[in-house]
Amino acid sequence: MKIKVKLVGLFRSELFKEECRDYPAGARVQDVIEDLVLPQKHLGIVLINGVHARVEDVLQEGDILSLLPILGGG
Amino acid sequence: MKVLTTDPAAQAASVLYKRCTIDLQSGETSFEDLPCRNLEDVLGGFGRSFQDLAQRRVETAYCDENPLIVNTGLLTGSSAMTGMRTYFSGYSPIKGSKKGLPSAMWSTGSGKFGAKFKWTGLDELIFENRSETPIYAVIRETEEGPQVELKPAEKLLGLSTHDKIMALQKEYADAHFAVIGQAGENWQNVYMGAVALSTENQLKSGEDKCRFAGRGGMGSLMGYKNIIALVAQSADKLKPLSSEVKKVNINVVKGGGSTRLQPISRGGGGGTWAAYDVLQAFHAVPLNNFRPQGNDLPEKLCRENVEQDYEIKSEACYRCGIACHNNVYEKNADGSRGEFLAKFDYEPLNLLGSNLGIHDAGQAARLIQLGDNYGMDSISLGVTISYLLSYNERHPEKPLLNGASFGDYEKIRDLVIRAGEGELPEIGRGSMRLSQATGETSYAYHVKGLELPAYQPETNPGYAWAIAGGHMSMATYGLLTREGKADIDSWVKGITQDKLHMVGFDMIGLCKFFDIANGIGTQMVVDCLKSEFNLEIATDDIRAAVRRAFLRGLALELRQGYSKEEFALPAEVYEQPNGHIQLPQIATPEFLDELQKRVWAVFEPELESLSL
Repeated sequence: MKIKVKLVGLFRSELFKEECRDYPAGARVQDVIEDLVLPQKHLGIVLINGVHARVEDVLQEGDILSLLPILGGG
Repeated sequence: MKVLTTDPAAQAASVLYKRCTIDLQSGETSFEDLPCRNLEDVLGGFGRSFQDLAQRRVETAYCDENPLIVNTGLLTGSSAMTGMRTYFSGYSPIKGSKKGLPSAMWSTGSGKFGAKFKWTGLDELIFENRSETPIYAVIRETEEGPQVELKPAEKLLGLSTHDKIMALQKEYADAHFAVIGQAGENWQNVYMGAVALSTENQLKSGEDKCRFAGRGGMGSLMGYKNIIALVAQSADKLKPLSSEVKKVNINVVKGGGSTRLQPISRGGGGGTWAAYDVLQAFHAVPLNNFRPQGNDLPEKLCRENVEQDYEIKSEACYRCGIACHNNVYEKNADGSRGEFLAKFDYEPLNLLGSNLGIHDAGQAARLIQLGDNYGMDSISLGVTISYLLSYNERHPEKPLLNGASFGDYEKIRDLVIRAGEGELPEIGRGSMRLSQATGETSYAYHVKGLELPAYQPETNPGYAWAIAGGHMSMATYGLLTREGKADIDSWVKGITQDKLHMVGFDMIGLCKFFDIANGIGTQMVVDCLKSEFNLEIATDDIRAAVRRAFLRGLALELRQGYSKEEFALPAEVYEQPNGHIQLPQIATPEFLDELQKRVWAVFEPELESLSL
């Protein structure tokens, strides 16, 4: 299935800003993170189609998955 | 501190702290060893100072009855990482109720002044009344204990924060400094004066790398009292690092809490600046006075774009393993590092950058540097200017002051300089007063008289219950954006239970980056207190003390005349909802009404049983 993956901040520095990628049906957010070898300790926000989601959530054909680093004040 | 117990929660009076009180009018100085009243006193910071402020009825900030309280926290100057904090407390010139009464306020910063202050043997310094002439105070250790001497400060007048520190350094070896800038000297017209605290890096490099206790105008109160600087002179007295504290410190550096703050080169997230990228994904980076437009303009100040033209060096406070300072330097033609410009933290960068329509990193850096040199709170300064620019945009036929508009760097720079010089009370006295004068209050982005940090109020109704600055005394700024919580139950819980614990750091002497997500009621803090002082404190006792201190802050706000209607967001948020922000619209009148009812239903019974 096709998933549009959007990366934000430091996640995109060595990869891409936005890319359409193929994943097998039933793939979870975690599978994408592992596929891209993203540093999980920096993962702060997961959005599927603009809605907050969890790494264990299952993706659907055509989903837009955004992966953002941690947000914190200062 | 004299610690004569191992159980300070049950036997607080067996912990004594050393206070020096100086009557600036008479010059009299007295020292006392005072027994702590409760665990809040033991922990220190605002937990102690607010109890003392509560004992005074102060109707205007600039009066003899309003003290300036300088103190530290229990772990300031300890071997616990980030234990560098100094606290400045008093009734605020800038934060006040519509009834006209000043709010009790504290402000805090790192730098090495706090540790040096603690190492002189003093825990608290209270300045009463005001001096007829400009003075600075030298606090030093002696064989007989700490001594405080007042000295004439005429030679320091008119100097920037940095220049004052460098001038004092020539005279005082082995010392650190807390100073005001020209803004604090012009306290009549500048209510947002900050206190600058010297750093080791600054003293060694000669570059203006102060830290600031910015919020609430404590530098202006210092200026009113005619105190131009404080000098803390002592040998360094760090205890040898115990295995317990070493373990904690490693956890601070490598644990999850500080990961996002570490430099990218060390596998970190790059500091608070990284918030630009995250918030921009939601079009929630404040732009042109908190009105994001759904465009990519804020991206110009994202790190990946700035570092193409500037050199960025990650540095840290003294002995801190969290290198959260992103110091920005000019890049020379040959690629080498040029002049130091400014430290890029999210708040000042946004509020003196994108939120003023400034999208050039060099220009934003210069504005940050100017505000720092004059000694003004960058949040209050930036937000008051953005209000003015917004007013001018709405009234092109009759703009205020120099007619500055969004993005007009030269005119904005002129406003900063003239505000710092005390020539523009319209700016220097903050956005609440300016908006009251224009009669257009709906788009003045303050809550309870204190300007908002760089998180859109649409995303944070919790601002209403912050007691000393919107993001550092109520940690709800990420509840919607980071955690995706849009339901009322989560917000009630966040405000009344979890997120208020942020203020614990402003008692104990640690920086919030020690463990920002969990506060101070943790095993890490318990282990530090055991190792440093042989104290046995349960995490529940710490959390209870933090909660009482927070509630005391709320009670003081109510006593100073705040009505419940003032616990609200700027009206523009409801009147003109911003459809560009790509997050659930929770800041509706209905949501806020319900939140008001349910939050006060939790707090009010506790406030009734709390004695001020």
